[in-house]
Amino acid sequence: MADKIKKYINSLFLWELLKGLRLTGRYMFKRKITVQYPEEKTPQSHRFRGLHALRRYPNGEERCIACKLCEAVCPAVAITIESEPRDDGSRRTTRYDIDLTKCIFCGFCEESCPVDSIVETRIFEYHGEKRGDLLMTKPRLLEIGDMVEKQLAEDRAKDALYR
Amino acid sequence: MSDDQITIEVDGKSLKANKGQMLIEITDANDIYVPRFCYHKKLTVAANCRMCLVEVEKAPKPLPACATPVMDGMKVKTRSKLAVNAQKSIMEFLLINHPLDCPICDQGGECELQDLAMGYGGDVSRYQEKKRVVKDKNIGPLIQTDLTRCIHCTRCVRFGEEVAGLREMGATGRGENMEIGTYIEKSVNSEMSGNIIDLCPVGALTSKPFRYSARTWELVEKDGIAPHDSVGSNIHIHIKGDRVKRVAPADNEAINEVWLSDRDRFSYEGIYSEDRLQNPMIKEEGVWKEVDWETALDVVKQKLGSALESHGANQLGVLASPSSTLEELYLLQKIARAVGTNNIDARLRQVDFSDQNSVSQFPWLGTSIADLETLQSALLIGSNVRKEQPIINHRLRKAALKGAAIMMLNPVDYDFNYPVETKTIVAPEKMPMELAAILKALIETTGQSIDEQTKQCIDNIDITDAHRKMADKLANADDAIVLLGNIATAHPHFSLLRSLAGLIAKHSNSKIGYLSEAANSSGVWLSGVLPHRLAGGVESTNVGLNTHAMLQEKLKAYVLMGVEPEMDCWDSRAARTAMNEAELVISLTAYRSDEIEKYADVMLPVSVFAETSGTFINNAGSSQTFAGVVPPVGQARPAWKFLRVLGNLFNLDGFDYESSSDVLDEVMQSIGEIKTNNMDQWQSPTSLEPASNDLQRITEIPMNMIDSICRRAVSLQKTADVSDGAIHINTALAGKNNLTDADNARVEQDENSVTLKVVVDDRVPDDCVLIQAAHIAQIDLGASFGSIRIAKA
Amino acid sequence: MTETAKTILTEHTRSEIDVWLKKYPEDRKQSAVLAALREAQHQNHGYLTTELMDAVAEYLGMSNIAVYEVASFYSMFETQPVGRHSISVCTNISCLLMGSDDIVEHVEKKLGIKTGETTADGKFYIKCEEECLAACCGGPMMMIDHKYYENLTPEKVDEILDGLD
Repeated sequence: MADKIKKYINSLFLWELLKGLRLTGRYMFKRKITVQYPEEKTPQSHRFRGLHALRRYPNGEERCIACKLCEAVCPAVAITIESEPRDDGSRRTTRYDIDLTKCIFCGFCEESCPVDSIVETRIFEYHGEKRGDLLMTKPRLLEIGDMVEKQLAEDRAKDALYR
Repeated sequence: MSDDQITIEVDGKSLKANKGQMLIEITDANDIYVPRFCYHKKLTVAANCRMCLVEVEKAPKPLPACATPVMDGMKVKTRSKLAVNAQKSIMEFLLINHPLDCPICDQGGECELQDLAMGYGGDVSRYQEKKRVVKDKNIGPLIQTDLTRCIHCTRCVRFGEEVAGLREMGATGRGENMEIGTYIEKSVNSEMSGNIIDLCPVGALTSKPFRYSARTWELVEKDGIAPHDSVGSNIHIHIKGDRVKRVAPADNEAINEVWLSDRDRFSYEGIYSEDRLQNPMIKEEGVWKEVDWETALDVVKQKLGSALESHGANQLGVLASPSSTLEELYLLQKIARAVGTNNIDARLRQVDFSDQNSVSQFPWLGTSIADLETLQSALLIGSNVRKEQPIINHRLRKAALKGAAIMMLNPVDYDFNYPVETKTIVAPEKMPMELAAILKALIETTGQSIDEQTKQCIDNIDITDAHRKMADKLANADDAIVLLGNIATAHPHFSLLRSLAGLIAKHSNSKIGYLSEAANSSGVWLSGVLPHRLAGGVESTNVGLNTHAMLQEKLKAYVLMGVEPEMDCWDSRAARTAMNEAELVISLTAYRSDEIEKYADVMLPVSVFAETSGTFINNAGSSQTFAGVVPPVGQARPAWKFLRVLGNLFNLDGFDYESSSDVLDEVMQSIGEIKTNNMDQWQSPTSLEPASNDLQRITEIPMNMIDSICRRAVSLQKTADVSDGAIHINTALAGKNNLTDADNARVEQDENSVTLKVVVDDRVPDDCVLIQAAHIAQIDLGASFGSIRIAKA
Repeated sequence: MTETAKTILTEHTRSEIDVWLKKYPEDRKQSAVLAALREAQHQNHGYLTTELMDAVAEYLGMSNIAVYEVASFYSMFETQPVGRHSISVCTNISCLLMGSDDIVEHVEKKLGIKTGETTADGKFYIKCEEECLAACCGGPMMMIDHKYYENLTPEKVDEILDGLD
C-alpha cells in the first residue's frame, strides 16, 4: 500500500523528469567534447589505418620490391601486383592495384611489408564519384605517399619502438 | 638376393634395406624425412652440406645419412636431440652468409633452405659480422645467377660432370672465398643446362626468362607433355592467371627421369610471341583483314569448296606439322579423305619415300627409352642425338659410361658428351657405302648368308679394320641397337640407309630403331596422315602424293596445319614456290609471318601446346594424353575444334565430337593395339651408286629451330643452338676457295644462288657444305641435300 | 690432341710434367695437376694465366674448370699477374713475437708497395701469407721464391732483396 502511495507522489511531482534533467543540467555545464566536423577534427593515433600509400626512399627510389607478400596476406584479396625486372635489373612492380571497395583496412599489408613500402596513411576523407575511382593504381598510391611522406616517416618512427 | 637383405631400425621402426645402400635412400623410401641440401637421388653423394646428420647408435657423433651405408642391426634416430641439435647448428652455419633477400628471390616459396629454416633455423641471428657477397656471373640467356645466395651444395657442379657430361661449373677459391661459377666468363652451353635451376636448393640459379615475373605461390601446376621431341618428356606447366609462366620436368622414370631438355623447358616463351596470330584473317584483294571465326569458316568453306570443284580434289594438298596432336592429325586426314584427296603428309623433312609401304605400324625406337641404358653397343646413323633428343642421349650416355660401345656414322663430326667408340664422318653420299662396308664385314665375320641381290650390291666394296671393328662390336654384344637419326631420315637415299641398317641389325642380332623427329611423329603414322595409309595403319587403296611430290607438282590448293613450309620442309625453295604459286593456301597457324602473309589466303589462329588438349605418341609407342591448361591467346582455337566445325560445314558424316577425348576414342579404336615392329620392314637394297665428286650440301636443323614455337622462344633464340644462316666449311675447303671466316660466299644450288657468310667449321668433312635449315637467308637454295657450288662473293 | 698445349707449354715444362706423369697410372693423369701447375707457373715467372691453365687441362685430359678449381684453391698458385719474385714474410705467432711486423713494414717501405701488391717494374710481389711457414726456430723469417731466409733483420732483408736480379 505504501508503495502505491510513493509511486503516486513521485509521478505527481514529476520526479523522474527532474532526475533526467539533473543529468542534462550536469552536462550543460561540463566541458564540451563534440567535434564540429569538418571544421574540427578528432586527434588520430599514429597507428591510424586510412588510405593506402606507397612510399619512397629519401633519394626518390620507390621502396616496393614486388615481393607480393601484401598480395598474399590480404584477406580481402584487394591487392593485385604484377612484376618484372626493371632495366637496371632490380625487381619492380609494373602494376600495383588496391581495390578500396574490397579493402577492409586490416593493415596486414603494412605488417607484411619487408621494406615499409605499402602503408596506411591518416587520410580517411576520400570518395569516389564514378566506377574505378576507388581502384588505387601504382602512380596514385605513390602520389599519396609523396604527399604525406613527412607524416608517414614521423608515424613510423614513433612506432619503431614497439616493433 | 636374400643375402643382401638386411634390417635396420630407424626411429624405432624396423626397415628392410639392401647392403650398400645409403641410409638416406632407406629413409626416403619409407617416408621418413631427413633434411638435406646436397643429396640428390640422381647425383653422386658429396656429403658437403651436412644437413642430413642423424644419430646412429654406437657412433660417437652424428653421421650424414647420405653418406652412411646401412649395416645390419643399425639403430638410427633422425629426430633425437643429438640429431636435431646437429641439424640446427648446420642450419645456423648455412644462414651465416645467406642473404635475407627472400622477398625478391624467385626461389622464395619453393626454397629448400627457406623451408628448412622454418624447421631448423633460429629466430634471431647470432651473427653480427659482415656477410660475404659474390659477384653474379653471366652464364647465358637461360640461367640467372645470384651467387651470394649459394650454399655450396655443388649439385650444379655434379650435374655438369655426371649428367650433362660437360664440366663447366666448378667451385673455385677456398674457404670463405669459395665460389661456384665458370671461372672465366662464358655461357653454360649444354642442352640440359636448365636442370640446374631445379637442382639448386636455393635461389642461386634461377630461370632467366621467368625472372621476377611471378611468385611461386601464385602459380598453379598442371601436367603436360613436352612438344618438341619424340621422347614425350613429362612436364609440369606453371600457370599464373591465363599465362604459362614456366615449365618444369615431372618425374617419369620410364621417360625423362627427372630431367628436361632446355628446348622443352624454355619454349613456352614462344606461346606469347608478338607475332602470334590473334584473330582469323582473310586476304581480300591482297589486303589482310581481321574477321570473326564465323566469317572465316564461311570463307574457308566457300574458297575450299570452289577450289575442289574447279580443280578436283587431286589438286588439294594437305600438310601437317608432326608436332600436332593425334586428334588434330586424325581429324585433318578424316576431312581430307572425305573431300576426296589422299595428298596428305606430315613427313616434312623427308624426301625418299620409296619404301614407305614396307613400314609396319610406325617406325619406332626399337626398344623402350629406359632400356637404352642397358645397351652394350649402338650404331647411330645420321644423328645428332645429343641436340635432337637430349633425353635419349642421356640414356645412351649412361650406357656409354657403363662401357657400351656407341658408334657414330655421321656427315658432321658432332660433339658428344660421352666416349664414342668410333666416329665415321663422311659426306652424305658416302653413308650408304659405309653401311654396306659394315654389313660386308659383318657377313664375313659371322659367316651368315644373305640374299643374292644384296650380296651383289655389297660385293665390290672395300672394307677396312674400322668396319670390321664396328661389325664386331655389334655382333658380339648381347644387347645392341642400330639407330637411324633425323639426318638419316632426311637423306636422299633414306630407303637404302634403312635397308642396310636393317640388314646390319638383322645379321648382328641387334635391334633397329628410329630416333624420330617430332613429338608426334609416331602419331602421324598411326592417325593416317600419310598418302598411303589410313588411320590405324590400314593401307589406302588410293595412294596420294607425299610431301615432296606435293610441293614439286605445285598443286592448286594447300591446307597447312602448323606448318611453315619454307622453314619446315626438306626443299625450302620448292615449298615456297609451291605456296606462292598456289591459288589457295589455307594456313592453320599460331603465328603470322611475312612469308605466310605472302602466300596464304586465309590464316586461322590455332592453339599451341598448353592451350589445347590432345595426345602425343612418343617414339617408344607410349601414348600420353594431356589437357589444355591455359586459354588460347586472342581468338585462337584448338585446331581439332576448327576441324570438327569444318567437317560439319562440309556436311560430312561423323564430326559430332564433343571433346577431344571423343576423337581420341575413335582414333584409338581404329589403331587397336599400338604394336609395331621394325625388323624386316625394309626393301632389299638394289644398287649402290658411286659417290659423285661434286661438293655436297648437308643440312642440319639446329635444336632450337625445330618448330615454329621454338623459333619464336626469345631466350632459346639467344643460345648457340640456332641457325646462323651461314655456310660451314672446313679449313681445307675454305682454303681451296680462298675463303676465311666471316667472308661472304656466293652459294649456288641448282639455278639459284644466294650470298651467305662463311664459318670455318672443321666438323664438316671434305667437300661438304653444312647449312643450317630454317633460316631465312637460305630458303632460296632449296633441297636439303645434293650438290652445291661455292665461290668467294 | 695436345696441339695447343704444345704451343703454350714449353718443352721443358712438358718434360717436367712428364716426369710426374710417370709416377701415376696411365688413367690417373690428373694426379699430376699440382706438379703441372707448378711448372706452368714457373714457366710464366710466377703466375698462371687462363691460357696456361687451359693448356695444363688439355695436357692432362681434364676439364678446364677442374684445373681452375685447383689453381684457385691453393695459395701457392697465383691466378692474377704478379711480380717475378714472390716475397712472403711469415707473420704467424713465433715470427710475430720475434718482430716480423717490423720486417713487413721494412719490406713494404723499401719496395714502396703494400702487402698483396706488385712493384711497378714487375719485379717484386709481396704475398699475403695465411699460415705459418714452419720455420719457427729461425723467426722472423721470409720466403722468396720458395727459398727460406731466417733470423731476419732489416739490413739482412736489404741485402737479400738487392741481391735478386
